[in-house]
Formats: sequence, C-alpha cells, structure tokens
Amino acid sequence: MKVLVVTSGVPFIRGGAEILAENLCQALSSAGHAAELIFIPFKHYPPSRIPDHILACRLLDLTESCGVRIDRMIGLKFPAYLIPHPNKAIWLLHQHRTAYELWDHPIAEDLIHYPDGPVVREAIRQADRELIPEAKTVYAQCRNVADRLRRFCGITVESLYSPPADASLFHSGSSGDYFFFPSRVTGVKRQLLVIEALARCQERTMVRFAGEADSPRELAACVEAIRQLKVEDRVEWLGWISEEQKRELYANCLGVVFPPADEDYGYITLEAMLSSKPVITCSDSGGPLEFVVDRQTGLVADPTPESLARALDTLWAGRRGAVAMGQAGRARYADLKISWDNVVEKLLC
Amino acid sequence: MLKINWFSPLPPARSGIAQNFATQLLPALTRRHELVLWTDQDQVAPEVQSMARVARYVPAAPPWREINDSTISIYHLGNQPDLHGGIWQVSARQPGLIVLHDLRLHDFFFTYWVHYRKDRPSYLAALERWYGGEGWRAGEAFCRGGISPESMAREFPLTREATRGALGVVTHSSRALAELKETPECPTTVLDHPYVAAGESRYRQWLAARRAAPHPPYRLVVFGYLNRNRRLDAVLEALAGIPEREQFRLDVCGQLWDEGHIRTQIERLGLSALVRLLGFLPEGLVEQKLSTADLAINLRYPSMGEASGSQLQFWDYGLPTLVTRTDWYASLPEETVAFVRPDREVEDIQSHLRAFLVDPAAFRAMGERGRQSLANHDPEKYVDALVNFATKVLRRQPLAAALALAGRIGGDLSTWLHPAASAYLMDRASQEIVTTWRGKTGGQDE
Repeated sequence: MKVLVVTSGVPFIRGGAEILAENLCQALSSAGHAAELIFIPFKHYPPSRIPDHILACRLLDLTESCGVRIDRMIGLKFPAYLIPHPNKAIWLLHQHRTAYELWDHPIAEDLIHYPDGPVVREAIRQADRELIPEAKTVYAQCRNVADRLRRFCGITVESLYSPPADASLFHSGSSGDYFFFPSRVTGVKRQLLVIEALARCQERTMVRFAGEADSPRELAACVEAIRQLKVEDRVEWLGWISEEQKRELYANCLGVVFPPADEDYGYITLEAMLSSKPVITCSDSGGPLEFVVDRQTGLVADPTPESLARALDTLWAGRRGAVAMGQAGRARYADLKISWDNVVEKLLC
Repeated sequence: MLKINWFSPLPPARSGIAQNFATQLLPALTRRHELVLWTDQDQVAPEVQSMARVARYVPAAPPWREINDSTISIYHLGNQPDLHGGIWQVSARQPGLIVLHDLRLHDFFFTYWVHYRKDRPSYLAALERWYGGEGWRAGEAFCRGGISPESMAREFPLTREATRGALGVVTHSSRALAELKETPECPTTVLDHPYVAAGESRYRQWLAARRAAPHPPYRLVVFGYLNRNRRLDAVLEALAGIPEREQFRLDVCGQLWDEGHIRTQIERLGLSALVRLLGFLPEGLVEQKLSTADLAINLRYPSMGEASGSQLQFWDYGLPTLVTRTDWYASLPEETVAFVRPDREVEDIQSHLRAFLVDPAAFRAMGERGRQSLANHDPEKYVDALVNFATKVLRRQPLAAALALAGRIGGDLSTWLHPAASAYLMDRASQEIVTTWRGKTGGQDE
C-alpha cells in the first residue's frame, strides 16, 4: 500500500510525537508498504492563526501522487489529522489541548489570554467534532486521549499503544545515586515541581534533568528556582543528550521522575519500564497512570512539592524496594504486548 | 446558571442605563446567574457592589484571562461616549452579546473618535465602511459643520459599526430596528425593557396624594437626561402660546444640555413664574415629584431608537404622558399615551394641554392603562429571555472565528491576486469554511 503519515509540529521543536511519527513510517516500511511522512508546520499564536491552519489543511489534496492513488492516509496531530482523504485513519496523538482540558490550566493555558480565545476554542472543538468522524478508523494513542475525545467531543474510540523507538536497546544497569528526568523543559512537564520537591527532601536526593527547553524563558525559570532554593549541588542539567546517552542514564539511575500535567502518553514511562526502573509520577499526570501501578512499579504522588519529595525520599532510602519495583515494571511492559506490528495492522485494516 | 461578564454603566453614573436599567435588572439577574460587573468608572455605588463582584478594566488593555473565565460577555452600548467608550472597545475585540440601548449611534462614534481619540480618519473609515463614499463625504461635511447632528443620526446611524462581529444583538424596540434598516449581521431579539413596578398599596398612596393636591394649577413634569432632542424649546413655546397657561406649572428635572439657553428662553417667553429648573433630583425627591405630578412630557426627536426607562417610570406612577410619534414611542399602544407629531409639536402639545383641562379624568385613565402595561416588563421574564438568547448565540462562536478567517482570506487575496483569478480560491475556501464550521453542532440557523 501507499501510505502517507501526516502530522504537524512546531519547527525546531522535537518531542515524542515527532519520534513516534518517524517510527510509524519505519514500521510501515518494515511491513512492506511504501510510507512517507508529511510534516505540516504549525504556529498556534495568535489564536486566529489556528483556524488559518485548519483551513490550510482542509485545502490539501493527498488522494493521489502523479496519478497514482494514495491508498491510506494516517493523521496523527492537530490540525494535520483534519486533512481530507477518502481512506483516512486517525491515530490521535493529541488534540489542541489548550482548547480542551488545558484551557484554564494554571501552567499550560494559552488561548484564554486572548480576546478571540473563546471563539477560536469553539472553532477548534467544532472542527474536531465535525471532521474527526470523517476517518474510517480512529484510534487514540492512549486511554487518556481517548477519554478526552469522548468527554469533550462525544466520540468514542479505542486506544492503541506503541513502543518507544529502539525499544530493544533499553537495558538495565546499576542503581546509581540519581533520579533521571528526561523531557522537554516546559511548563506542562513540571521540572519546576521537581526542583521544589528537591528542596523539601529529607534525603540528599539528586536529579539529572535532560532535554532542551521550549523557550529560553522556561529554562531561565528553572535556573532561577534552583538558585533561589539553593539546590545547585543536587541538580545536574544535561540539556540535549544522544539516544545512547539517554539509554545509559536510564540504565544506571535509581528511578525515573516523570510528573507531567495530564500527559497524553509519555514514552518516558515505557522507556523506564524497559530499563527496569521504577517511575515516580503524579496523580494528575494522565498517560503515565495507565502504566505505573502505585507501590508495585513506581510511586504515584500528589502534584505538590511535599508529596513528591516524600516519594523521592522513599525510593532513595529504600533502594531494594526501588529495584523490585523496576523489575515489576519490566514484567508489566512484557505483559502489555506493545508492538509496532500490532499498530500497523490496526491502522491499515 | 451562566457566568456572565456584564459591561454596563453602573450607578452612580448619570445615565438611564445605570440609574434605571441596571438597578431594575441586576437584582433579578444576580439571583440566578453569576455576574462579574466590569467597569472603568471611578466609582460604583455600594448597593451594586453588594449584588455582584465588581471588576475593573483598562479599555486599552482588558484582562482577557479573567474575562475569559466567564461563559459570555454582555455589552451595553448607548450614545454616551464617556460611559460606553470603554465598553465598545472591549466589544470590538471580543465577540459577545450586545444590548443596544440606542440604535442611532452616530453621536457616539463621532464623539468617541473625533473628540476623545482625535482620530478623524477612523470616524470617516467607519462611515465609508457602511455607507461608501457618500458616508465618507457626509462625515467630512459634518466635521466642517455643514450637516446637523440630527441629520447624521438619521441618515448614517452607524448601528452596524457597533454590532460588527457580535454574536447576537438585543434591542428594546422592534419597530425602531425595522425602521432603521440597519439590521445587524447576527441574530437579534427584542425584549421589553425591564421594570419593577411598585406595589399596589404604594401606588394607591400616590394616587391619593395626587388627588389631594389643589387643582389647578396642574403640575407638568419633564424628566431625565435633557438633551436637545427632548424638545424642551417646543414645550416652552407651546406652554407660552396658550391663554390657559396659568393653570399649569412645569418642573424641569434633570441635567440640561444648555441651561443658559433654556433660562433665556423661559425669560423671553414670560414663563419665569410657571417653570422651574430643578436639576438632577436625588431619589427621594423623584418619588415626591412624580407622585404629585399630573402630566409628564416625554418627547424625543430625533429619537436614537431607544426604549425609555423614564416612560416606564411615569407609568409606574400612573402618569399620563405626551410622547413623540417616532421609533419605540410610536409602538406604544394608543390608549396608554398621547402622541405628538414631530412636525406639529407645538400644535399637538397645546391641543393635549387644552384637552387635559377639559377632561383630566380621561388623562388619568390613560396613565392607569399605562401602569397596567408594565406587566410586560417584568425583570424576571427579561432575565429568562436574555439568558435563553445568550445560550443560543453562544453556539455561533465557531462561526465568528470562521467569519474572521474568511475576512483574512479575502484581505490577503486582494493584495496579490486579480479578483477574477481569486474567485476559484475564494470559492474553495468558502466551501471548506462552510463544511467545517456550519455543521450540525453550531450556527445552523444562519
């Protein structure tokens, strides 16, 4: 089959969604299909730009290429999944979340700050309600995304999990003297919450942060918090790291901290499980909660510095328990039978 | 329950919207819905602050984050730029529900742009937007003093400038809106201006006080915010011109647009012993004045298309009233008011005054019937209808974004593509906009 994978993203910003799109293309190719990735650039501000992008997507014609039919289009991210195609599948990574549950979220809110925010929010919601059902097949990348689609748009779909990139290369090493937090540095990932928790820990816990900042402003906020809370000697700021470095840091950490605000999926949880590491997450973190079983494969804290500090202290002081939780996480990953073969089969059926 | 942003003049501002409309409606509205009362006034009366949260805003930089916490914004627009200028600035940037208290808003836009903002091009651009070159030229002539304000209000009311981009529009006069021929480009509804009538026993006390007063002389009253269109010159001339004038006393209550001019007129017409200028009355004196008056004179010409809160107040006191046969006033039932033709003002006023002397009871019955008609103006009914309409027009939010998008497309194409060549693109874009944003979940009645 000729398959187009269409997604959208912000130029110079790379995260899990971009990696997933590439991996899907690779999996389709491995399964013997001609697959290509189309990337639609997206700028989400001012709000009036968003309907512009929706319309731009609607005006694209991806039904043929040089007279040859494109058999299937797979849409991943807003607004790319709104591109019309007679044989479309949507694997919903996420909708435009500030038009939904992040509308008035204290960290991530965006549209709400603009005079035309409310009308654009409703325009986005209507476009989703009207146009997502055009697809022949719709899956969500996880239960959290599926729940949100049902709650806000009244559209019921199943979730379809995918493995992280190079899943087979993750391995387990020693339990080092640090927690690992790999993620884009941005408000919804809550690096600041972890820094505040560090300042409240009873143990001399240590966290290694890896990942680039979405904006200099967000990086500066973290640096300033580290200075003010006097935790410079308990934080290591690694910035961008290679995939190999990342796997090593996973392999040798005591545990992984990943407390985002209502994350959609979060490969970090799965990568930690593949590395046999316990995951500390929060009760409002969304996607990770589909995988982390509290006190079995990790710890679920309240989204407060105090509660998160207690969780960090618990694993730091109880290393044997941390190791056991990590092993339980690896076993759970195996039980979930997450594979690209399954993803490809579902999206092409 | 809706959470509503309420942008309106509030007491103690000297406006009918603040003093009558808001005070009549807010108790009923705040009982059933959560309101944020947005204001750029220096002061807000304590009794209003006890009804709902008062929030302040700077019109040039409204706090959108806080505003967007509510479900809908309701903007009250009228012809007083000092009170409505800030409200209009916000309404022009965020689509909401607009309540038009005046329909002819040329005075507002002229004063706002030319006097307040010193920006004549924007005033002229608004005229050109809705009336083409003719509007632009008329605006130029008006700025030079070549056209009267009344003529501009009549020919170029700029109503659509005020309602541009709105989700919905509320007026208090269907007739005035129909005659205006400036139907907004969004759903409109007509609601009866709200009014809380006094209880029956109190009304009976007022009637007794009126009957007990010695007659003649009969007490005439002119009341409210007295601009030129309140026709006080004609009233004075009519009174001076009848031999029976000694049987009347006229009290002029309210803020005059030119007190010096009126005093000169009174003197010139020999009415000093019959006419008193009482200025803006405190609430306690209003009751005393209206309960002892015999006939109210409530003329407007030209009318700005507004419904009159004062008229409802006169009816509350059972006062017979002379009104101009124009716009909202012309839609009042014949048996509840006495009409004055705009082109025969002095003649008609004199005729009514003579008729009053002949049969005061017939006029009292007219006032009584007016009071009965207040049942249609129950604030609770108004709240129900307003909220129903607001809920309905909220469904137009996606369409508002789509229309803005259509405007941007047209604007962009016109800068680089010949109209003939852009037709295909415009057509494709229009089709997609319609498909996406005019579906079954919203805007279906457009």
